[in-house]
Formats: sequence, C-alpha cells, structure tokens
Amino acid sequence: MSEDPNIPESEEFREDELSSEMNVAKVHGSIMREQADPRDGYEPISLWLITFSFALVFWAGMYLVGNSGGFSSEVFNANLVAWDGSGAAVDKGPPDPMIVGKRVYTQYCLVCHQSTGLGVAGQFPPLVDSEWVLAREWHGDNHVVKVVLNGLQGPITVKGNLYNNAMAPWGGVLKDEQVASVLTYIRNEWGNAAPPITAEFVALIREQNADRKEAWTQKELQAIPRAVIDASAPPAADEAPAADPAAPSQPPAATAAPGA
Amino acid sequence: MNRLPLLFLGIFLTFASAWAGLVAYPYLKLGQLLPITNEETGELVPPPLSGIADAGQDVYAANGCLYCHSQQVRPAYLSTDIAKGLGPRRTVARDYIRSRPAFLGTMRTGPDLTNVGLRYSAEWQHRHLYEPGEVSKGSIMPAFRYLYIMQKIEGAPNADALKDLTGPHAPKPGYEVVPTEDAKALVAYLLSLKRNYPLPESPEEALE
Amino acid sequence: MTTLAESLNPSSSEQTLEKIERSAIDASARLPVLLFFGTAIFWLLIGSLLALVASFKMSIPGFLDNEAWLTFGRVRPAHMNTVIYGWASAAGIGVGLWLMARLCRVAMMHTSLLIVAAIFWNLGVLVGTLGILAGDSRSIEWLEFPGYSTPILFIAYAFIGIWGIIMFRFRRPGHVYVSQWYLLAAFLWFPWLYGTVNILLIWQPILGSAQGAVNWWYAHNVLGLWFTPIGLASAYYMIPKVIGRPIHSYYLSILGFWSLALFYSWNGMHHLIGGPFPAWMISASVVASIMMFIPVITVAINHHMTMKGHFGGLKWSPTLRFTVFGAMSYTVVSFQGSLMAIPTLNQITHFTHYTIGHSHLGLYAFFTMMMFGAMYYITPRLVGWEWPSANLIRWHFWLAAIGILVMVGALTLGGIIQGLALYDPAVNFMNSMHFASPFLWVRSISGLLLTAAHVIFAVHFVMMLLQMGSKRGEPTLFARPVLEEETLSV
Repeated sequence: MSEDPNIPESEEFREDELSSEMNVAKVHGSIMREQADPRDGYEPISLWLITFSFALVFWAGMYLVGNSGGFSSEVFNANLVAWDGSGAAVDKGPPDPMIVGKRVYTQYCLVCHQSTGLGVAGQFPPLVDSEWVLAREWHGDNHVVKVVLNGLQGPITVKGNLYNNAMAPWGGVLKDEQVASVLTYIRNEWGNAAPPITAEFVALIREQNADRKEAWTQKELQAIPRAVIDASAPPAADEAPAADPAAPSQPPAATAAPGA
Repeated sequence: MNRLPLLFLGIFLTFASAWAGLVAYPYLKLGQLLPITNEETGELVPPPLSGIADAGQDVYAANGCLYCHSQQVRPAYLSTDIAKGLGPRRTVARDYIRSRPAFLGTMRTGPDLTNVGLRYSAEWQHRHLYEPGEVSKGSIMPAFRYLYIMQKIEGAPNADALKDLTGPHAPKPGYEVVPTEDAKALVAYLLSLKRNYPLPESPEEALE
Repeated sequence: MTTLAESLNPSSSEQTLEKIERSAIDASARLPVLLFFGTAIFWLLIGSLLALVASFKMSIPGFLDNEAWLTFGRVRPAHMNTVIYGWASAAGIGVGLWLMARLCRVAMMHTSLLIVAAIFWNLGVLVGTLGILAGDSRSIEWLEFPGYSTPILFIAYAFIGIWGIIMFRFRRPGHVYVSQWYLLAAFLWFPWLYGTVNILLIWQPILGSAQGAVNWWYAHNVLGLWFTPIGLASAYYMIPKVIGRPIHSYYLSILGFWSLALFYSWNGMHHLIGGPFPAWMISASVVASIMMFIPVITVAINHHMTMKGHFGGLKWSPTLRFTVFGAMSYTVVSFQGSLMAIPTLNQITHFTHYTIGHSHLGLYAFFTMMMFGAMYYITPRLVGWEWPSANLIRWHFWLAAIGILVMVGALTLGGIIQGLALYDPAVNFMNSMHFASPFLWVRSISGLLLTAAHVIFAVHFVMMLLQMGSKRGEPTLFARPVLEEETLSV
C-alpha cells in the first residue's frame, strides 16, 4: 500500500490488499477515496476582528442603556426616558400643537388645501395669508372654529377670489384639542402668523353650536359678530362681542342678534 | 474544546440568559396583567369580549387572518402608524390580555386591524368577507364564501341575509346568502377590535 | 483494541482501519438516516406544492377559493410547517446524526430507537399539517400544528435526544471537533425551545402580548439555535473534508460558536420592533442582532480562509458547490438580518415582503442548499451506490440557485417598494399592494423553478435507492477532480 499521503488511493490499487476485509465489511469506492476527517488549524484571530468586536460591544452597551426606558416593564417608548436613567416615564410636557396640528392637517385637510396651504385655484381656497385663517377684517377666531366644526357651503370670497364648494364638517371626527392644534398650525405655517387657538375656546364654540346641523354660509357667518380669544379675559360668547383692543383689525359693529 | 462540562455549562447558560429575558420576564411582568378601570367612563379597559366575539377569535385563528393582517399600532417615533390613522395611540401589552392568542401579526398584505371596529359596520364586514373584490376593488384578499350559505328564500327573507351583494357570486333571484355562526362570530370579533380607550402606559401623543 | 480487521490481517494500516470503521459506521447509519432523508424529501415536495398554491393565490385571489381547507390563511401555515418540520428538521436530523456518528467514530447502536423516532416524527407532521388545513391552527407563527399533534413530535424528539446522548457518551475519546459542539448544542436547545413554547402558548397559554415575545423567541431560535448550528456543523465538516484541508483557525471556531450561542438567542424581539413590549426588550434584541456581526464574520473568515486557493473545487464537487453556496448565503442573510433590526430601516421593511425574502434567503439559500450538499455526500455512503447522473445534479443546482436568487430578489425589491408606500401616510393602502404585485408574480415563477429542482432531486434520490444506472467506481462529479497541493488523503 502506498505510504505517500499525497496520492489519493484508487479502488483497483486497494482491491488485492483488502480482498479479505471486503468480505467482512463492504468497503466501497466512496469510502476508499475519502479524505481524512476534518481537523483544526491554529491560525490566530486577526487583530482587526478583535478590535471590531470590542467596538461593537462598546456600542451595544451605550445603545442598550440609552434606549431601554430604564429597563422598566411599563415604559414602552424608548424616547420617553431621560439619559439619567430615571426609571419611570418622564413627561416631556404638553404636546406641541404645531406637530399635532400638522399631523391632523396631513390626515384630513391636505387632500384639498394641499401641503403648501395654497389650495387649488377655483376649487379649494388657500390658507396662506387668508383673512379667514388669520382673523382679519370681519373674520374672528370664532368664525374659523365654526367652519371647522360644522363645514362651509355656498359662494365665499377668499383674498378677493370667489369659491363655491363645500367643506365637510369635522366636529364629529376631531376632538377639541385636535381642532385647536390644526388651527394653530395653519395660523403659523407658510409664513402665517396669528395667535394660537385653545382647546377651551373650541369647546365653548362647540357647545354654543351644539344644535347646528348644517354647514355655514358666508352670509350667515358675516352676521355673527367677530370674537377673538382674549388671553386676559375668559373666552367671549357670541352674544357679547369682546373686541381685543390689541387686535389689528377694526372693532366689530354694534351688537347683533344672539349667536346664529 | 475538550472539557465537556464547560461546553455543557456554556450551552446551558447562554440559552438560559435569553430564556430569562425573553420568556420568564414577559411571563412574570406582562403575562399577569389585569384590566384597569377607565377613570372617565368607569369601565374596565380593555373591555371583555362578548361570548360571540370571543368565539370569533377561534375563527380568526383557524382561518389564518394573521398571515396578512397585523394588530399592532407602533409609536410615532418609530413609524407612521399613528399618522396614517391606525389608532390614536400605540398599543401596549395590556391591550392584548383578552386575545387568545395575541394576533400581533408580522405582515401587512392587508391593512392593520387594531381599530377596525371603529371603521366598518357589521354589514360591510359581512359583504367584504363574502367577496372582498366587490367591496374593495383590486383587493387580493381571498373570499370567505365558505363561511356563508346560499339558500333558497323560504317565505320571508332571513333577517341576517346579506344585502346589496354584487358580482359573480351574488345570489340569483329567489336566493339569499346567510352567514353561518362562524361568520357571525368572526364579524362580532372584528367589531370588538377597538383600542382607542386610554391606558396610562400609552399616552395618546407620543411625539418626536 | 484489536479490531476485526486487524485480527484478519495484522499488516492493515491505520488508514485502512479508519476506512473500515467508517464503513461500519455508515452501514449502521443506513436505515435511520435514509428514512429521515427520504421522508424529508417527500415533505419537501409537499411543502413546495403548498407554497405554489399560496404564492399564486396572492396574485390570483380567486384561485381555489371555494374550499375552506384551501384558503390562503391555512395553506400558508401548512407550507411553512411542512417545510420547517417535515423537510428541514428531518433533513437536519438525518445529517446531524450521520455527522455525529462519523465524528464520534462510533457505529450507531440501538438504531431501532431512531427508526421509531422517524416514524413518530413523520406522523406528527402529517397529523399537524392535516390539522392546519382542517382549521385547528391557533395562528401562532412557526407553531401552527394543533395541540394534539405537537406531543407526537415531542415524543419523536425525545427518542432522538436520548439516543444522541447515549452515542456521545460512547464516543471515541479525543479532540471534540467544532461540528460536534454545534450539533450537541442544537440537539440540546431544540427540546428546551419546543417544550417551553408548547407549554406557554398551547397547553397553558399566558396572557397578552407576552405571547408575542415567547412566540418570536421560539421562532427565531428555531432558526438560529436549531437550523443554523446544524447547517454550520455540516459546512465545517464538508468543506475541509472535500478539499482535504484543515479548518483555518480553531480559535475562530471557538469565538464563532460562543458568540453565536450568546447573541443569537436574544434576537427574537427584532420581529416585533414597535410592538407592545417594554422598550428594553426591543432594544436588547436590536443590540443582539447587531452583535451577530461578530459570529457571522468570524465564521465567514474561517470558511473563506480554509477554502482559499481551493475554490476550484466548486467546479467539480456537487457537495462543495451546494455547501459553499449555503455558507455564503449564511453570511449574506445574517448581515441582512442585522441591518433589518436597525429601527430606522425596520420602519420601512417591517410587515412587508422583504421579511419573507429574508426568511427564504435563510431557510432555503442557506439551510436547504447546505442540506442538499450534505445529502449528496452522505447518500452514496449509505446506499453503496453512486449518483446515477451528474446532469441531474447539475440541473438541480442551477434551478435551485437561480430560483432562490430570483425569489429573494423579487421579494426584496417588492418589499422595499411596498414598505415605502406603507410608510407614506399620503399613499393609499391599496397602492402598497399594487406596487408589489408584479414582484409577487416573479416570486411565483421562481417557485416553479424551485419545485422543478425538488422533483429532479426526489427522482434522483429514488434512483439511488433503487441503485439504477451503471455501477461506477468513482464518485459522481461535475468534472474531473483536480486536487491542489497539500491535500490530506487517506
């Protein structure tokens, strides 16, 4: 038999040697030509791999500590916990109306008034620099809240242009905080600047308009006296118009009939 | 490595560590959660399922709805689920204590169903299950007509019969399509999927 | 110790004795391993058929939609469970048993235990699959077999487990090779996994989203702590064996094994990022998923450096070709998996076909191809016959390789597009489906390629069992072997 380990053994070479064993165990071709069983070499681990592993472990530790909500079983959002690792969820304060408002706008308003707030010419009025949104001229905070709650129909004029479409009522879909947030958002986006609308004001208007089922028309709204939110006084009702002396627009006309 | 006790110990310990964290811990901390009382309404949240809605879970499981529909609302800092209107807040462990099992799902071949009970009526659900392609044009959802029976109208039409069916499987005149108990249970379950009640561990606006 | 061979002819060399010993081991392994292989291939065909039905249903919703037992929601889990337990686990058990026997250098004893195990195992798979189609599944992913069938599988496994421990106890003393560590670990981890999940999800279910955690701890670990170790054990055996070289570094083997054991088991929650679980659990899994770079790179270096200079072997050895395809796929799928766990990327890929592409890359391109390679090596040694046709092997390889690459490519691209559409709140949900639909057609067609490959393999395997074709003196290879210098021959 061959002592040279470099020559793979072939079947016919082995046959005469092993004919006796072949009666004992069926040694067939595939075993004859097999290589030795696998064994280990002993090359060292590269330094790069070791360094990389340590770097990864370091990163892992940092990530875990920073994103684990203090390892509490009641904290589900990793970003609600301060770095100091305090266990419970730390309240980050009331939600920012610009962010909430933008979300509401994207979900419900964007489809008509567009992401630019410019609307569609002849179809959907713009919100940018709009007297309706910014409570200018005869428009007040109360009017814009009514429009969102109950909808708008019939011919209207926005920035000198005529529109005749229908806006759906959102009072049944949006809560007071959402109405307040989206109005605050549109009043302060795209270069607009106007005071925020509060959820309490929306609640008040909603209560006053509880019986209103139809969408408003421009004529009806014009008949209602303008009201703005006064930070120093409680929100005014429609019956007693309270002009904010600091407001840039004209004071309202004489008291009209109780709120339409 | 020829020291076998070390090998066995290592095999045991490495596995045990993850078992402790991903099995024992949830079992202890999440698997024993109880419903709590909603401060505003005084009701238990999550609300218990009615008998028929609970039976509907078995129909949901048996027919593999989970393989296309998920039931989880992810937080705003990790997804756009809330922006898309899947729910007012992310879902948390307590939301699933009535589920057998928790049908969290891992595919959205079809829409997420966490709050589907808020969106569609029972009639819509029945029509949709019977022939999804007629109600939702372009849908690839399979039809579940086998949960319904097409029968001849005897006397007055059955009170449960599906109305306004269209398409190739709509009943011919004189015939009606009636839901089986399984169909009714499934729809009752779908209507119960409302996770818009407040939970303290899931504040409604999780903002970035 | 005087062997029988020695007593007949005292001048027999060490190498001859080794050969006879191997022959005896193979002879003892014949019935149980062939039984596992044969039934595994049967389930591979059934699983492929179920996959085709499910896949075409996603493109043609009206396809076979009249019957309850054929609804997508039952066919899809039936496909998954038959390929996971019927094909992959059975093939893995067969390969694992043979590898253990060879590496422990002891002939299999009490093989009747294994035969009983094989029968029970297949019975469990059959009852389970029929149960799913009948509507008894609980929709627990990777564990859809109804509660009345899972004990059958557990009993089968108990036989295998007990037998494995006995064999290891009686092994020939000496160096314990890396494949043996992986196999021991896999055979110890699987019953722990299977037992726990059966108790906590089926027999005494726990409440709430904790189920999700246990479910995905189980499912991911079946992949990472049952299939992956068996696949790696096979690669660590076949690669050095075919080319006749030692494994590059024992130290890399150690690092690869232990880092896999430590990190892989924590990955489970990465299937549920954003889900209803405490933040730390999700973060732990994200971290563990990234840490997987360590064992994967380690093993890749080890295999690559072993193969270096010997890639010519891919031209002539079927075993090597399938095995190296599998090993490279292992690296790719693991890198992909680590990246998918990053929450920013996960926002896009979660809930999409991308995940399905990933799972097929792992279970098919890695594990199944690896098992094909091992089966091509082992079967001739059990049957005492060579594969009748190199052409059939060639067709099998190319149909499978092209099929799986096309499938993964289609699902990955389709999944990304679907995910981007799902992410954008302004895009209608329906559009996410429509954008993905051409990719689903491509996936169905690639499934046809894979099924064809499996039919060829099944036919070829039967030809082997029947010892068809002419008797050969040489192994069935693609081309004449050219062994580079410094090979270890026996």
